[in-house]
Amino acid sequence: MKKIIMYIFLVIAAIAFLYPFIWMVSASLSEERSIAHITFFPVNFTFSHYTKLFETITIGRSLLNSVFVSALVTGGVLVFGSMVGYALARHRFKGRAFIFYLIIFTMTLPFQLTLIPNYILMVKFGWTNTFLALIVPGMLNAFAILLFRQHFLSIPQDLIDAARIDGCNEMRILFQVLWPVSVPTLITVGIITFMTTWNDVLWPIIVIRDEKLMTMPQLVTLFAVGGRSFGQIGMKLASATLLAMPIIIAYLIFQKYFIESMAASGQKE
Amino acid sequence: MCFGRSVSLLCTVLFFLVSCGKREQESTSLVFWSSTNSQEIDFSRKYIELWNNNPSNKPIVFQPVPEGQSSEEVVLAAVVGMTTPDMYANMWQGDVEDFAQSGVLVALDSLEGFLEFIHARCDSSVVKEITSQNGHIYQIPWKVNPIMMMYNPKVFEIAGITEVPDTYEDYLEAGLKLKEKNLMLGISETGAIWWQRFFNFLPLYYAASGGMPLVENGKAIFNSEHGIAVFAFLQKLYSSNFFSRENLKGQSDPFLASKLALTFTGPWTIEYNDRFKADGFEFEFAPVPLSDTSSAPIYSYGDPYKIVFFNTCRDPQYAWRFLKSILTAEADKDFMELSGQMPRRKDLDSNPLFLSYLESHPKLLPFAKQAKYVRGIDSQTHMKEVLDLISAEYEACVVYGKKDPRDAIEDAAKAVELLYIE
Amino acid sequence: MSTLKRNNLASYLLVSPYILHVFVFVLFPVAFSLFLTFHEWNIIGPMKYVGLTNYEKLLQDQYFFKSIRNTLVFLLIHIPLQIVIALGLAVMLNQKIWFRAFFRGSFFMPVVVSGVVITILWQQLYGYEVGTINMALNSLGFEKVGWLIDPVWAMPSIAIMATWKNVGLYIILFLVGLQSVPRSLYEAADLEGATSWQKFWHITLPVINPTVVMVMILSTISGFSLFIEPYVMTNGGPLNATLSSVLYIYKQGFFYYHMGYAATLGLIFALLILLVVFIQRKVIEKKQA
Repeated sequence: MKKIIMYIFLVIAAIAFLYPFIWMVSASLSEERSIAHITFFPVNFTFSHYTKLFETITIGRSLLNSVFVSALVTGGVLVFGSMVGYALARHRFKGRAFIFYLIIFTMTLPFQLTLIPNYILMVKFGWTNTFLALIVPGMLNAFAILLFRQHFLSIPQDLIDAARIDGCNEMRILFQVLWPVSVPTLITVGIITFMTTWNDVLWPIIVIRDEKLMTMPQLVTLFAVGGRSFGQIGMKLASATLLAMPIIIAYLIFQKYFIESMAASGQKE
Repeated sequence: MCFGRSVSLLCTVLFFLVSCGKREQESTSLVFWSSTNSQEIDFSRKYIELWNNNPSNKPIVFQPVPEGQSSEEVVLAAVVGMTTPDMYANMWQGDVEDFAQSGVLVALDSLEGFLEFIHARCDSSVVKEITSQNGHIYQIPWKVNPIMMMYNPKVFEIAGITEVPDTYEDYLEAGLKLKEKNLMLGISETGAIWWQRFFNFLPLYYAASGGMPLVENGKAIFNSEHGIAVFAFLQKLYSSNFFSRENLKGQSDPFLASKLALTFTGPWTIEYNDRFKADGFEFEFAPVPLSDTSSAPIYSYGDPYKIVFFNTCRDPQYAWRFLKSILTAEADKDFMELSGQMPRRKDLDSNPLFLSYLESHPKLLPFAKQAKYVRGIDSQTHMKEVLDLISAEYEACVVYGKKDPRDAIEDAAKAVELLYIE
Repeated sequence: MSTLKRNNLASYLLVSPYILHVFVFVLFPVAFSLFLTFHEWNIIGPMKYVGLTNYEKLLQDQYFFKSIRNTLVFLLIHIPLQIVIALGLAVMLNQKIWFRAFFRGSFFMPVVVSGVVITILWQQLYGYEVGTINMALNSLGFEKVGWLIDPVWAMPSIAIMATWKNVGLYIILFLVGLQSVPRSLYEAADLEGATSWQKFWHITLPVINPTVVMVMILSTISGFSLFIEPYVMTNGGPLNATLSSVLYIYKQGFFYYHMGYAATLGLIFALLILLVVFIQRKVIEKKQA
């Protein structure tokens, strides 16, 4: 009896979490006037919102921009984050403790504090309306360093010593010896970085005002609030659907990794 | 070495980004931005292609102003980031004075042949309106979009309303009748953003006051019986639930869904309606309401947009040469045909080129008539803030009925006058 | 000796990207931000020293206080709702049930999708005249609710949506916490004939208390970071009921270009966040003791 009530709850919850997405897809394929209907399948099926959307904004290009930016940022975080994490975990040098506490300290700083000065920095560097503004500031973050440090602390010293005896320098040790045994951490940091970069809207809105360089979430946001959607709900929902697709597909394939990574990201406090 | 490979790869990519990220300022082409209105995009594309097809011309690069919450916000960001185009064809009149004073616009009267051109195109009153406080001209008046009342005659019919309402009283009566049929009288922008007043307070205020300014010499002229009457009237529409509190943007269009009878809008809506309406849907235009319609003519807000040159432009004289090619009578007629918007020129109602077109497009006729009785926005600094301040009071008083109209207007006036104290 | 030195050099080489990054993008901006709070600057023109004017202005700025109030409204609804729903579903998922992966996967779906998608979608669901939720309510015989147009409802509506988006993450966090409860404790309680409620209250809750603190802190930070939701849905309206702190910084900074004042707002909000998080920690730690 208790079990049945529990299943009823779970099913209701699952519907509450999934149905809006189903509605979004079917509404984006429905004729504009039928959109408010509560439905499972498109009402008066039409593909026109999508064709009109592609005619109006360069959403394909923005997808490429997003992939490019997120991939570079993720690459940067993995390379630089593991470098710093490795040094902090396995090297002894003057100032190590200071750097460690500096990282902890900067992690607690809310982004509201640095938003305005960082924008001014971009203006003064001449980086507004370039990918540099989207990529360079994101190429390293405190959280990734700490995760790598944590992980490298657990690696047996023998492994590193053996490599040193073989005459490897530190970079080789890191990338050719440690990376291959750190795949789960690399995946965790990679997924979190990729997702946060992919989903960020505030920073791109501030530094990128050229449509050719806009990221996909940014373009969709500005399309939703701007004038070019003509208040056409079908087109807005179509743009939202397209934006959701890549991540949902990735999620369905790598579900386990997504959930584990995000759970790890929650542990940061 | 591994260090060499992975890190230098990243560095190479970054270097590549730096070099290609630098805007192509070296090139000789001039950049032209239009508004994001799709018909204007078509128009600009057509004329720029025409220009570029002539091999002796320097190429013009076209782009609609990047998408943003408002184009004014985007342009301001471009000014700050020094990424402005050479020519911009969607400059709101209320911004020109601010930009001119911070020195980011080219004084057009210094260009060869400009003054002759502008006097041939416009009335002296328009030339006076666009002349800056320092005596220079920074803007080319291109188009006006008179704001009018758009209504759905079939919805009026359902409620048994035979005559199109044109006074405040008529509106309230019509609202009551529609409510009985479970329909609404209308909808308008309800937010507190400055440009949302273009579609309610501003046209109604110009109509009520016969085209008086909002501010003059640091005084809030709208703090008058006219301003208060407009607030009081609109407030009644919302408090009686004749107007929907929903924002027009964001949800699907309730006017096209025949859920309500009227709204205030410009001529660009004709094309939009024709594109998205259901079969058999009808709509017409009429002047905005007044408390007393006996004293014609009825003024409205003209929503004028201008073409400006930014000081990042390397060759203003050449830009002007190009620009003249999109300002000829033929181009203006083409523009009207494509966009349904009114070119701002004095021969709009005398040149047979325009007359014959208007006659074959009766929906545009009311706008052409209204175009003679429009007011733009005052040539003062801080106009965006003025409208923002009025909007804050508008939202509280008109839309949500939290304030008495007289108090709301007075508070707005006080805040506005503070802006001009040096 | 020489190897140590070389190693030291290598160490500094390894941490050099961080040093460079933290100076340019964190430490310098923080210092510059402090500097900015004493100035007025629109970037185009010259910078003007204004002393404490920005701070004085802030203390009289009704929108500043309004945005704090709005954030509190958001947190008061969001945090309890989040904890109750996440904990409830996590407890259910922690049992032996069929389709567990499916349920867990579907609850987590909104977490991975961009906030923009969620916001555009819910804006349609929340519509007044033609919104899907109101149409459903109407057909069930209820009054329509002015989700986004009623100043009283607007912020709660955003809080409900944010809960819907984030709750999947907190379910996972709670699941991790629940799995660390030793089975033997439950078995011992069973022997003593404890009800499931008693078991939850006396065994489960104390163990997952750190997770509750974490969820509260994460929710607080996300409450102070609200931007895209009000930006797309309401632009801070109606009557500024959804003006969030970040949206207000954005407006002052990137709409009016009051860089000095925007930096002041950023500084004060940052201090507020740290204060609130600190209090949450202290209060809960005291309770635990």
